[in-house]
Amino acid sequence: MSIEAKIAGDIEVRTREELFINIQPIQVAGRLTPEAMKALIAYGDGYSVCDWCRKPFRLDCIKKPPIDKFHKEIAEFLGMDVARAVPGARRGFQAVANTLVEKGDTVVMSSLAHYTEFLAVEAAGGIVKEIPPNEKNIVTGEATAEKIEKVKAETGKLPKLIMIDHFDYSLGNEHDVYGIGKVAKEYDIPFLYNGAYTVGVMPVDGKKIGADFIVGSGHKSFASPAPSGILATTKEWAERVFRKSSMKGDLTGRVFEAKEVEMLGCTLMGANMIAMMASFPAIKERVKHWDEEIKKINYFLEEFLRIEGNKVVSEMPRKHTLTKVDTIESFHKIAKTHKRKGWFLSDELKKRKIVGMFFGATKTWKLNTYGLTWNQIEYLTKAFIEIAEKYNIPHTLAKKVEKERKL
Amino acid sequence: MEKVVEKIFQSQFALVDLREILRKTKPVFNLSEEQKQQVVDIIKVVRESMDLVEKVLVK
Repeated sequence: MSIEAKIAGDIEVRTREELFINIQPIQVAGRLTPEAMKALIAYGDGYSVCDWCRKPFRLDCIKKPPIDKFHKEIAEFLGMDVARAVPGARRGFQAVANTLVEKGDTVVMSSLAHYTEFLAVEAAGGIVKEIPPNEKNIVTGEATAEKIEKVKAETGKLPKLIMIDHFDYSLGNEHDVYGIGKVAKEYDIPFLYNGAYTVGVMPVDGKKIGADFIVGSGHKSFASPAPSGILATTKEWAERVFRKSSMKGDLTGRVFEAKEVEMLGCTLMGANMIAMMASFPAIKERVKHWDEEIKKINYFLEEFLRIEGNKVVSEMPRKHTLTKVDTIESFHKIAKTHKRKGWFLSDELKKRKIVGMFFGATKTWKLNTYGLTWNQIEYLTKAFIEIAEKYNIPHTLAKKVEKERKL
Repeated sequence: MEKVVEKIFQSQFALVDLREILRKTKPVFNLSEEQKQQVVDIIKVVRESMDLVEKVLVK
């Protein structure tokens, strides 16, 4: 099926989600709900959410549509006191780093941290010190405490902030956020929980974790358009990170006392804000079914590993749908002599209406099965087996889907 | 004219629901009986809406 419809000029219609199984590692949980798509249709105009903006003229205070209510509910949903929608998780990191970190201050974070965490600290003038993972590629509370001690010994000061990804972008491994939360309390260092891969797909309770800040990504895990995200915090920290402007114009005497400095006034305006809100009821429901998503990825990998030479680089069994695999001893061997080189695997998958793996990769690469139905998981599984058979890569017979699994 | 606008949005929203059925059944599109009925209902909404739009704006 080729699509001739164009949006304007050379801008094509994106049909990947209607025609293909998409296993792209960072796209799948940001796929919109139908409700979010409807929000884009109805609220696409620039300042669409501002029709009923009244004093104090701030986004999170707008009652119609109920943006104020969403802000209260999302804070509660995350077990925190106050929340703000932000244009992407990175703006959440930035707001916290700008508030807490001064020039020369140290921030400790995982050596598997996302680059935007580095940049947020750098922009604030801070210095990043990385916590090494253990032999299983897990960052623990113990390793965090060791790093804190090391920083203290080297600089004479404690780090100003701990930033930890619950699940990292590289392997999708679960890091010991509960243990790290305890360590943060023991040292009295604020703890930023990076939930870019959790907020919106699995239950997250900031109080249980012991987080001072929770950052989520709308476009990664909250079925929302980019850029969108969430920054949630406690009452105590809210006063600092959401501090209001105290500046006064020297000529005009103008003041902007209601505006929050780190938010630069209003944050996530228009269709993106309403799309997040529109997806929220579905999000509240879908986080209850995270265990089903985990069953699907583990089932898929169980079958994927029947292909001789296939390996999983991420921790097993999987606790997240984002997974790194290694096909050096299977598909990469074919790539070495295939006329299309590494592209042969992408080609074969595309022929079977599967897209999203890094184009041309046959060594190590990432996939994500979040949101696929059991039928689609089964289809995906069979596709890999079929490709293995086509190229004479040995495999054990794929087992039948168990009857109790919902098809 | 409110009715026309309402019907236009209803149609667009119904078509979004149709896209969602495609997303849930890709890439083989073996629809369940329930999904087939949903498609029928969606098409009905769109047709009836467009009939009204045509009646008000064109005829």
